[in-house]
Amino acid sequence: MRKTITILFIASFCFLGTALAKDTDVELTGWPYQVDVVRENLGRFASQSGLSATFNPFPSNEYHTKMVASFTSGTNFDVVYVRDSFLAEWASAGWIVPITGLPGVDDYMADLPQGIIEQMSFEGEVYGLPYYSGNSVFVYNQRLLKKAGINSPPKTWDELTKQASTLKQKGVVRYPIVIGLAANENSILRNLEIISAGFGGRFFNDKLEPVFHQKNSGVKKALAWIADGISKGVINRASISQGDGEIDKFLRSGTAAFTIVTDYEMKVLNDPKKSDEAGNIKNALVPGSADAVSGTIGYVRLYSITSEADKAKAWKLVQFLGGKDATGAYYVPKRWALEFGLGFSPAPLYKDAAVRNSISGWINPDILQEQAKYGINRAYRFVPYFSDWEADAWSEFQEIINGADMDSSLDKLAKNWNELKAEY
Amino acid sequence: MIILKNKEISPGKLALIFSAPALFVLTVTVLIPIIYAVYLSLYRYKLKRAKKPFVGLQNYEKILTDEKFWDSLTTSLIFTVSVVGVIITVSFFLALLLDQDFPGRGWLRALLLIPWAIPDVVNALLWKWLLHPTFGVMNALFSMGGLIDEYVAWLSSMPSAMIWVVIAYSWKNIPLATLLILAGLQTVSKTLHEAAMVEGASAWQRTLNITLPLLRPTLTVVLIFETIFALKVFDLIYVLTSGGPGRSTAVLGWNIYINTFKKLDFGSGSALAMILGLITLFLAIFFYSFLDRGERQ
Amino acid sequence: MKRNKLKRYILIYLASAVFLTVFIGPFLWLVSSSFQMENQLFKVPPVWFPNPVSAESYREIFMGAIYDESYVSVYGKSSSYQARIYLRSFLNSLIIALSVSFFSVLFGAYAAYPIARMDFKGKYFLLFSILVVRLVPALALAIPIVLFAKKMGMNDRLITLIFINMSFVLPYVIWLLQAYFKTIPSELEDAGRIDGCSRFQVLNKIILPLSLPGLVTTGILAFLLSWGEFLFALLITETEKSFTSTVVAAMFATMVGDINYVTIIAAGVLSVIPPVLFALFFQKYIMSGLLSGAVKN
Repeated sequence: MRKTITILFIASFCFLGTALAKDTDVELTGWPYQVDVVRENLGRFASQSGLSATFNPFPSNEYHTKMVASFTSGTNFDVVYVRDSFLAEWASAGWIVPITGLPGVDDYMADLPQGIIEQMSFEGEVYGLPYYSGNSVFVYNQRLLKKAGINSPPKTWDELTKQASTLKQKGVVRYPIVIGLAANENSILRNLEIISAGFGGRFFNDKLEPVFHQKNSGVKKALAWIADGISKGVINRASISQGDGEIDKFLRSGTAAFTIVTDYEMKVLNDPKKSDEAGNIKNALVPGSADAVSGTIGYVRLYSITSEADKAKAWKLVQFLGGKDATGAYYVPKRWALEFGLGFSPAPLYKDAAVRNSISGWINPDILQEQAKYGINRAYRFVPYFSDWEADAWSEFQEIINGADMDSSLDKLAKNWNELKAEY
Repeated sequence: MIILKNKEISPGKLALIFSAPALFVLTVTVLIPIIYAVYLSLYRYKLKRAKKPFVGLQNYEKILTDEKFWDSLTTSLIFTVSVVGVIITVSFFLALLLDQDFPGRGWLRALLLIPWAIPDVVNALLWKWLLHPTFGVMNALFSMGGLIDEYVAWLSSMPSAMIWVVIAYSWKNIPLATLLILAGLQTVSKTLHEAAMVEGASAWQRTLNITLPLLRPTLTVVLIFETIFALKVFDLIYVLTSGGPGRSTAVLGWNIYINTFKKLDFGSGSALAMILGLITLFLAIFFYSFLDRGERQ
Repeated sequence: MKRNKLKRYILIYLASAVFLTVFIGPFLWLVSSSFQMENQLFKVPPVWFPNPVSAESYREIFMGAIYDESYVSVYGKSSSYQARIYLRSFLNSLIIALSVSFFSVLFGAYAAYPIARMDFKGKYFLLFSILVVRLVPALALAIPIVLFAKKMGMNDRLITLIFINMSFVLPYVIWLLQAYFKTIPSELEDAGRIDGCSRFQVLNKIILPLSLPGLVTTGILAFLLSWGEFLFALLITETEKSFTSTVVAAMFATMVGDINYVTIIAAGVLSVIPPVLFALFFQKYIMSGLLSGAVKN
């Protein structure tokens, strides 16, 4: 009796959770941001092109891990979201294919700024069209600054330290500066790149050789500035464990007055339903120094075509999502910008009055555009061995900030890079 | 089922028959992947490189001569010893408590499972918020109790980062260990206790002389399991500290993740996993032979 | 005597209160947070009781599950995709957890008995090779297992997850049960054997009933392990039909500055309920005193 029940049990489960029959033309995957909107867009795509499309998202933080497993075992997705941080990885592993030579590519490239095109390329070929893009911005709390008698944001890192000290001494904010220094993709290295750029330094030169370990490099100045700030108590020591996605809490609650965030974060920071300091958070140019006016890093999320896809059909979807729809307008990018404040790249959208109006509510578009001019070239991020080097680098930087010897640690990292370079 | 006379089937064969279903599931699902993982560990298998040559023990050599591996091993051992110590001690006393007869103990038992039942995503958020440097509850409580002067960024420096990781991990795992020991306690014969009570032994004496020895198999297993779990830990580290500050909480499980999913170096990741597996196996054998003393008392 | 009893009860309840605070306290704080408005979460000092109380997140999850996209909240917001499919994913998790729990204990008990009671060549080999499966971190086996599943066409199916979870749970179940079986005095079995029972009957009629506490406990362990399993649920499932609660819970944490922390916490609170209910229901079987009856027989 028990045995029959057991067998029935097992048999019934074989029919549960079976995968849906695959007769959709194009399968899209990504992370679950506004899934309903994406599906609405796909519906529009279907009615315009006659091709059916589905969207099957996976959790954001595990998206990379999930896709690595999916690609390795033979994925059935045709179009995938890609973050610039792993574009080189996926391209060099052969999982995504470039869009070179596909019909209409040149027109799209003409509408995009050079910096963005570079961020979407690997070994000279472009791998898709942008989903959303933007830059990191420097933000400050106007109310807190005014309270301490400061009327305009700092223009250099030294000035920033001085302003932070004033805020601290006057008891306005205990730890005025917070920076994402956690050991993950969007935090410590990015912010170091930005701060170093402000000190006029780079990590690697055009020949992809390390320069950060050289005497008086911008990177060394940046690391020293951070360590100094922490010991003075103007930079919150907690920064070491805070990632890019967590910095906003400090600003929202008014427990920090300065930080660096990705531009779209400002929407939340100035949203009265989510932030106590709504309306007070303003953006300014990232501080510079005697060696540079400012510096920042751009970011791109793009739609790519997988190596196993039907290229023609997939390209139709990529064009719809990242470019123009059948009516010739940048429908999807404009929708993201207008309704959700996501950053955009196509030139025509910058001139669109509706878009300008909607984002002015929470970010200053002119300063934003100005900031984009100071974006640094990060070709080194797109070599396949970058992520190998990166993983070790994060912990090394944290050790330096916590007091390890800067020169020897940086020399070690430089050596790592050269060894990897030789290996590949 | 035909009743078989014991003389006709040898114990070995009987064991195989009884374990057949379990062995089937294990073989089909995991044995083959393990063999594949061992196979991978002998190759230079990096997803970003086209060539994947056979390199024999080179991956192992590279790992064993890397100073970071030994640091990581030390960190893992420190974490494991701390965690196992805390868990077994607290669980034992908690299990003793739950073994007592009192109204409401059923509820207490079920409620105590809550830390275990919280999904990792929420557990992560929970501890990050409890320990938050600006509005964390821990900071608020300690400051109210006069233990600290100003709020501390617990996860940003050592040794507080490691201490809190140990606490967070123990918090989640104690309920389970408690349940396991409790079940062992309850299987212990009540009549033996009653006999001892007649003879006038105190509760404490009873515990020491009767319960503990009988509990030996259970405690051994719980000890081995907790050690295995602790040596493999990854999720908590991933979420709370990302191996930081610096490399101070980079346990072996974290390094395996970095190798496999970040550097896409499957050869090295598999090799490291095999090394960890061997270490764990030795510990398990050691504990078992030392502590478990057979089936007849 | 009465005074001793009172003292005993006081001690017990005091200890219980301490343990409850430590283990349930953080969870209660989570529950409180789930009823707050998001900007209250960041206040210094922390808000202990929500004011005003906002069940918005729960409404989003429950109403969303019932009304799909057509539900628009008081704030003019409709339920997010994740919120809508969340409760449905509980069903998948439940199917997996119940199956794993039932079959692991069933298969495991039969495998554990010969190990606990009989001597045969290769006993320790069997015991430790069952354990080997669990020595290597799941991360290292993830890719090979997914590859294997895909090749067999078993991708995106609940039964695959049941198998995988069972193979991770079985080693623990077998080891635990062999320990619990060893705790039962062998005289009982000898009595049965003398009466002419076969090993099979001894197992069914004597050992299993007496080790009910152990069986139930390992069943609860199996349930919890598979309920909270995330890695393979993530890697094996592809479509929302098979998503488990852990995968959907992770989806609440989208990365683009739009995270609704309160909803994540609410989702976490809800996911604790099924395992706790399961434990509550079965914990009454973990009771002592069964043994004394058996001895008298």
